[in-house]
Amino acid sequence: MKPLLTHEVGSLDKPSWRVKAYAGQPLSDEDVESARRWGERLSVPDYPALLDLLRTAPLDREAKLEVRRWSSLYAVRLLETAGLDAVYDGEQQRTEMYDWTVAHSAGFERRGSVRAFDNKYYTKAAATGPVSLREPFHNEEFAYIRSVAHAELKVPATGAYTIADWSFDEHYHRDGDLTRPADERRAARRAARREFVLDVARNIIRPNLHALIGLGAGWIQVDEPGASTEPDELELFAESFNASVEGLDATFSTHLCFSDYDLFFPAIEAMTACRQFAVGFANYDSLELGTADENRPGYRVIGKFRDLPYRPILGLGVVDIHTDFIESPELVRDRILYAVDVFDDPDRIHVTPDCGLRTRSWEVAFAKLRNMVAGTELAREALGL
Amino acid sequence: MSAVLRDRVLAYQAGIYPRSERVVAATRGLERRRVAEADVDAAYRDDLTDFIDAQQQARLDFFSDGLLRWQDIFRPLAHASGVPARILTRWFDNNAFFRAPEMETPLTPHDVATSILPDERVPLPRVGTLPSPYMFSRAASTHSDRNQLMLDIARHILRPTAVALAAAGCRLIHLQEPWVGFFGIDRHDVTSFERALDVLGDGVDAGIVLHVYYGDAGRFAEWLRRMPVHAVGVDLVETDLASLGSGWEIGLMAGCIDGRSSLIEDEERTAELVRRAAEMVQPSVLYVSSSSDLELLPRDVARLKVQCLGGVVERLKQPVAP
Repeated sequence: MKPLLTHEVGSLDKPSWRVKAYAGQPLSDEDVESARRWGERLSVPDYPALLDLLRTAPLDREAKLEVRRWSSLYAVRLLETAGLDAVYDGEQQRTEMYDWTVAHSAGFERRGSVRAFDNKYYTKAAATGPVSLREPFHNEEFAYIRSVAHAELKVPATGAYTIADWSFDEHYHRDGDLTRPADERRAARRAARREFVLDVARNIIRPNLHALIGLGAGWIQVDEPGASTEPDELELFAESFNASVEGLDATFSTHLCFSDYDLFFPAIEAMTACRQFAVGFANYDSLELGTADENRPGYRVIGKFRDLPYRPILGLGVVDIHTDFIESPELVRDRILYAVDVFDDPDRIHVTPDCGLRTRSWEVAFAKLRNMVAGTELAREALGL
Repeated sequence: MSAVLRDRVLAYQAGIYPRSERVVAATRGLERRRVAEADVDAAYRDDLTDFIDAQQQARLDFFSDGLLRWQDIFRPLAHASGVPARILTRWFDNNAFFRAPEMETPLTPHDVATSILPDERVPLPRVGTLPSPYMFSRAASTHSDRNQLMLDIARHILRPTAVALAAAGCRLIHLQEPWVGFFGIDRHDVTSFERALDVLGDGVDAGIVLHVYYGDAGRFAEWLRRMPVHAVGVDLVETDLASLGSGWEIGLMAGCIDGRSSLIEDEERTAELVRRAAEMVQPSVLYVSSSSDLELLPRDVARLKVQCLGGVVERLKQPVAP
């Protein structure tokens, strides 16, 4: 992998024309105009065919799938046009990172929306029986994206710990006898939890990754935004990562975000198959320019990633995905230069947003990514790369 | 459980209550400029109506507005006090986040925003919910002395709000204190915490319940039972009954409905748990509620939990056959 390689982390917002067409809702002129404008701006081949299709809404099932593929193509082009080295499709073909996995697995039932923060929600399911893979659930999208992408592909796939952590458990731990001593209850909960997480890893995630690799996927990012939710389960998180990728032949990385990253140490020392950690930092950082420690408070922990014995690459989050503020290329540059200085090795730094950009409009996401790429170029120049 | 205590069993559902799928869709649509503000308001109004209905059906004793528009337990208070809140921070060990209030400059008195007070449709008597001063001071982003900050928060933010809530018909002020439950507290901070509660409660015409959750409150029972509050709440999902001690001089809030599990509790088994807790602690008054607020559950599950709470209390109020 090249030094200061740039890539996205996962999701992008779904365009209104994709959402409405797929939901069977009427499309406005503005929706179609948005498809036209972005099609032209991103030089999407044959995009007028999409406009013709949208004008026939409401759509039948086959046409809806076609719209979904168009959305995927647009997102690939957006990321490529922004100048990223490695891309995917902003998860345009999936409902959402958690729901998509659960919907293709046995042993879960949806329970309803739960808030993550502000007005952001996810559909939470409950494990109601032993969990397993019903069918590989990234194959179709991967085959399509590979057929249209020009850049290298990195497939985001939700990790086992996050799937279990974001689910209710109505199967593995059912004993609600609160009159038992608390220590006994905690021990029973821990054992049930371990069984649940490792069942997800072995029976859902690993076979799904195996199928992807069979289709030619070479780099898979195991997304674990839930990894540090329970500080006393970080060893279980590491164990689940290892169980998910054990014996599989591909480059594996993982994505962590919005956590106290100190918590991950030393547990992730066990994740020796992880070639890269893509980690969100910009959310915690100052907006001032500069490469001194006091200028970069959000990045204080990165030395711990540097010191991991298997020397993984750090995917450095330099773009805050929770605000519309567009980081300047100079701010991105300084964040990179700071990290390169700490690592003393540009080969071990990649450049990424903090997380998926699905909470931002395409306009904002595009502007942020373009500046991220421009800032990376400035850093390369400064480093003589 | 004694007949005297049986007559003093009171139930309520405090904290943030989950929003309906309609509000979820409306707020999402508003952010994407696909839905009008009036439609969002209408969806919230219906949610409040439904939550009031759920509480009435469950025959709860105090009524809450469910803080339906609160983005987290700090945000409206921070906003009303001119405190920025930007940094997204994990809410304990949950897949949920709050924006940490950034408290680097001294707090000054502010008017209590009317939007913080319960909607007039909420029946009387009411229960209001606020963050405990200890949790507020620890969750804030600051370089200041946190114990001094705790006192300032109690004086300039929480007390005026508690006074206003009491004037708005809240007979109970429920203070959320998961920080002590989850992270614990240093012994030398307890005195400052006690002072902050004194400051907060001064002149507030309502009972104050300090709810320690997301951890075993039994570890702190010795000093919790002496805090200057009307009652202390415990999270019975995490707490060892045997550690609570006996002969409390204040009330007990038994958090017996699991606010983080989608499984609906068995009413009789849960009532038996609360009876045991009450017999052990012998509180002056017994409140019954959930182990934490129900925000982390889908709305339909939360509604079933409120109904279950009502069922538990109904059983508690019945004499037990010898």
